Amino acid sequence: MKVVAGRVFAIVLFLIAAPVVRAQDPRLAARLDKPTFKAVNAIVDSARLARLPTAPLVDKALEGAAKGSDGPNIVAAVHQLSIRMGSARRQLGPGSSADEIKAAVSALDAGVSVHDLALVRAAAGKRSVTMPLTVLADLIGRQVPVATATNLVIQLTRSGVKDAEFALFQRNVRADVDRGADPTVAATTRARGLVLRTAGTGGKPLH
Amino acid sequence: MRDEPEGRFVIGEVARELRGSVSLSASFDDGVMAAIRALPAHRRQRTVWSRLTTPKTVTIMPLSWGLLAAGLVLFAALGAAHAYADLHRAAKPIASALFPAVKKPVPSQRVQFVLVAPDAKKVAVVGDFNGWDRSHAGYQAQHRGGGVWSVTAPVPIGHHRYSFVVDDSVWVADPTAPRVVDNDFGMPNSAIVVEEQK
Repeated sequence: MKVVAGRVFAIVLFLIAAPVVRAQDPRLAARLDKPTFKAVNAIVDSARLARLPTAPLVDKALEGAAKGSDGPNIVAAVHQLSIRMGSARRQLGPGSSADEIKAAVSALDAGVSVHDLALVRAAAGKRSVTMPLTVLADLIGRQVPVATATNLVIQLTRSGVKDAEFALFQRNVRADVDRGADPTVAATTRARGLVLRTAGTGGKPLH
Repeated sequence: MRDEPEGRFVIGEVARELRGSVSLSASFDDGVMAAIRALPAHRRQRTVWSRLTTPKTVTIMPLSWGLLAAGLVLFAALGAAHAYADLHRAAKPIASALFPAVKKPVPSQRVQFVLVAPDAKKVAVVGDFNGWDRSHAGYQAQHRGGGVWSVTAPVPIGHHRYSFVVDDSVWVADPTAPRVVDNDFGMPNSAIVVEEQK
């Protein structure tokens, strides 16, 4: 009877797993060695079951291969990315887009907390947080302290700043920093100017 | 009338015989069994069809067969969902071919990438929009003079990470683009958000 039960269990597992096995990305097979390919595919399949976007995981593996990284390092990077994507989606909500999740992962990598991700999400309402989070990661990368950068981006988002204005803000801060300005001062000054302009065109004033 | 007492006598004798104890020899059972074994074996000629159509009693363990039934139901549900998705995906190119007017444009924008690299002999743009392929023909930068390299190439709408590769070996982040703090492979990346033009 035990043998029969074991076989039935194996059949049920197979039946459950069989339909979700999909064709794999041919680029992975072409650029990764066999053990790395199998490991990356397993992570991608898990992400697919968790309804996470899988393209960023494939891209991460391809990036590792392009940069000449070894197999275990590629697998570790893809695995870590899948974990961070899961965290990001939990904070941004189940309806978050793949681009939002990718931008959120960049922000997490820069040092933003998951709690602050949720604050940015709340400040944006139904608008996309892709650009605000991209700019946030950039500000931190330019040595603006994490707390300051996060606070500025949350306030800009809450004030209704549009994506194109976010992009302009990022370019202006970069130009100021390149000219020798203190990153925190540059970011704060540019943010205030942007909020004042936005308030003048009907946006919400800076709190 | 004369036969009646005689008949009663016979019946009485038979009854007495039947009521009396019967003693068999010890080898009687063995003899009977040996005779049975000596008979030709009885074989039923069953065809495949008769095997398939003859009713049988099957013993079912509720746990095992319940699991199997649940698995079959789940398999059918998932299979139907995937079949629908595959059918939908397969139908798209056919619909595009049949109704070209309905065909959607590729959701991408042309983006100009610029890098100042006076000593470079070759510059390529690699990113998640071209599979990080440094040999991709559409993303090879051209030298415009004065050490300025540039290429204008299509990039799909959305958030992307990319970098320049100089002389097939040196990875350089785009100094004009947002940076990505991405230390997975020890080389820098830049970020770009491409939006649909309204």
